[in-house]
Amino acid sequence: MPHKESGIRLLRIGEILFLALTALSFYLLFISRSGEAHTVWEVLHPAFIPAIFASASLLVMILLTSEETAYKLLFVIILSILLHSFFPIVFPAGDLSGQQSILGRIRLVFDNTVLHGLTGWPNRNIQVFIYQLFMGANLQAALSVILARMLCLDIFYVHLFFIPVLWGTFVPVAAFLVTKAIGGSERASALSGLLISAFPYTTYFGAISVPNSLGFIFFFYSLCFMLRYLSSNESKNVQWMLVFSFFSFMSHYLTGIMSFSLLLLTTAVKRYQSEKKSALANARILLIVSFIISVSLLPLSFIYLRVLGTSIMPAFTLDKIGELSIQEIASLSLFGELAYSSNPRIIFLNIVGPLLALLWMLYLLFRLRRKPSAGFQTQVYFLFAVFLTVLIDYWILKLFMEGLPINEERLWVFRDFIAVPFIGLAAYAACASLEGLSKQKLKGIELANLERPFRSYKLRFSSLLLASNVLIPVLLGGWVTFSLSAAYPQVAPLQTTWYELEAVKYIERVTQVKYVVIGDQWTTYAGQVIVGESNPRAYYFGVSDKIGHELFVNMSRDPSSRWMLSAMNQTDTQVAYFVITEPRLGTDAFNTIVASIPPPLQLFYKSENGKLCVYSYADSNQT
Amino acid sequence: MVRVTSNPSGFEKHIAKDPKSVFTLTSYALVLATYMNLNTIKSAGLGIALFILYFSINGVFLAYAFFGNEGRFLRLIFGVLLTIMLLGFVGWLVMVIYNLDVPEFSFVLFIVSTFCSLMNKRLKDKNAA
Repeated sequence: MPHKESGIRLLRIGEILFLALTALSFYLLFISRSGEAHTVWEVLHPAFIPAIFASASLLVMILLTSEETAYKLLFVIILSILLHSFFPIVFPAGDLSGQQSILGRIRLVFDNTVLHGLTGWPNRNIQVFIYQLFMGANLQAALSVILARMLCLDIFYVHLFFIPVLWGTFVPVAAFLVTKAIGGSERASALSGLLISAFPYTTYFGAISVPNSLGFIFFFYSLCFMLRYLSSNESKNVQWMLVFSFFSFMSHYLTGIMSFSLLLLTTAVKRYQSEKKSALANARILLIVSFIISVSLLPLSFIYLRVLGTSIMPAFTLDKIGELSIQEIASLSLFGELAYSSNPRIIFLNIVGPLLALLWMLYLLFRLRRKPSAGFQTQVYFLFAVFLTVLIDYWILKLFMEGLPINEERLWVFRDFIAVPFIGLAAYAACASLEGLSKQKLKGIELANLERPFRSYKLRFSSLLLASNVLIPVLLGGWVTFSLSAAYPQVAPLQTTWYELEAVKYIERVTQVKYVVIGDQWTTYAGQVIVGESNPRAYYFGVSDKIGHELFVNMSRDPSSRWMLSAMNQTDTQVAYFVITEPRLGTDAFNTIVASIPPPLQLFYKSENGKLCVYSYADSNQT
Repeated sequence: MVRVTSNPSGFEKHIAKDPKSVFTLTSYALVLATYMNLNTIKSAGLGIALFILYFSINGVFLAYAFFGNEGRFLRLIFGVLLTIMLLGFVGWLVMVIYNLDVPEFSFVLFIVSTFCSLMNKRLKDKNAA
């Protein structure tokens, strides 16, 4: 009894220490916040990574104890939110990527600049309209706007933390449920919840607020209910796997199609289970056909986009594979775009998890083959089939298709979702076997009765016990921490700076009439997060808008009111602004432009540090 | 079913029972308070408090209606997730039909509250029967 009490006391101390370290990590991340940085690594506090490492290792120790699973999951969620919040906490406007464009579009809904969502009423054909309604950004827009209004906060903050918080909360729980569904113990399942953060692709997608990330969350839950459906006949599992698949589709096309192809596979596996005794051959044929259809659904769905009449033109091709050597094909098939990476550490961190998972999956399949009556056999086979589906789909998209609207690398997130339960099982099995081994060997050996050589023997087994309690948590905690270096980019352009945001806010606050801003793509990113994308009242040309780009290039080479006038005429606005930023242009180019600004253009705003200037021009005839 | 903790919390059960529809009415009052906060007070602190209360009530309604067999923690997680999904879906529908300005947004909250309450009552009665 006293031994148990001291164990509980030790556990509570460990938990308090974990919470204190996580709070410290949050604090260190907040003080690392920088208004001018390229990557998070540039500005992170030196004590942050050691704090995260200690925190993650301590959490693994807690997860391996007999603590209530609810508390374990709560701790995992807290750490997971922290691990996915680097961008919104460190950078003033989150990661400089598509998530800013999404925010730009959502802001239009938040500010009531557009009606009927981001799609607008049909102006082309009804198929395209329906397709666009379900394109994902609409669901995220609705959800973000509702949450922002409920919290009475600006959409800017809600959007930046939207996915990191949702992902950090719900994805570890989904990993827990999936691991449970394939027979994992509570400890192994809770371990999976943490180890999902050891997969760089999933960490990155959990850190940016894009519809695809939202889709991944719903996909993971649909997978969880598919596994439950395979092990029970409860009708509500069917209902929930359909509901989550539908939401997965509403969130993003890619995750939706993957969910539907897995639905088909699930139904086929279920049917195989019931029919294999009466008609094995037929059941097998049905299973194989279903697998082929499941695999082909995603590539073919891209082709259907052409039929719908969208501007996307995906096609099958043999050109890509014809241009590659055998070695390139092999490395692309195995590593994807990582094959072009020159950093072996990044490659290793990205493939070590899936590789270990595959090995453990094969081991389980081998073991289950020898024990056909063992439980969860169907679920493991199913997940193996899903793993293969993802791989084959990736190969098809990567090597045999062109003009795709998405980057094929996103498929690795599905692979990682399948891999994480097996990693949890493997890690827990390693830990349990080490512990079991040490206990077994120590049993019945009394130190006092042993001769000197046997004492060292006992010490060796004590160290084995120590290894299971300390070494494995340190290894897994280190893995989670080390993976962050592959999840968050090591090289990136200068993120949206504080002075770009200030300039955009100043223009918006001071200007009472409709205006247009000529600037580089970085200014556009900053502009759209504050006023929205292509807002007719406060117009910033799109990031890939050729007209906007040409106007900026012309203004940089030959600053003149005629370009400003041209921009105003094209956008039906009354004032034009020209924004230049020294770090983006380079000091020489910046100074040259400043020196050659002609008199009709007036200096409207200059940032405190002098790195950004805004010039204005108003057409006297219009104003 | 996965049971993370088996002991149901008394207050959680009390919300799910919804005696004399007290919590349904509280949920409507929260919608009204959110509307007023957006229009007049404009306090983020109050917004966060209302947000937590709204999700607590409606999350528990949905959790008990659909995931009554799960453990307490998972029930809470599923309840919150379902509330988010429902808000997203109804919000999406209203946004596509017109827009999501403050009155329409309040309408979305009202619809979701009503749905959650009805589901809770219907499935609770069904389970009891």
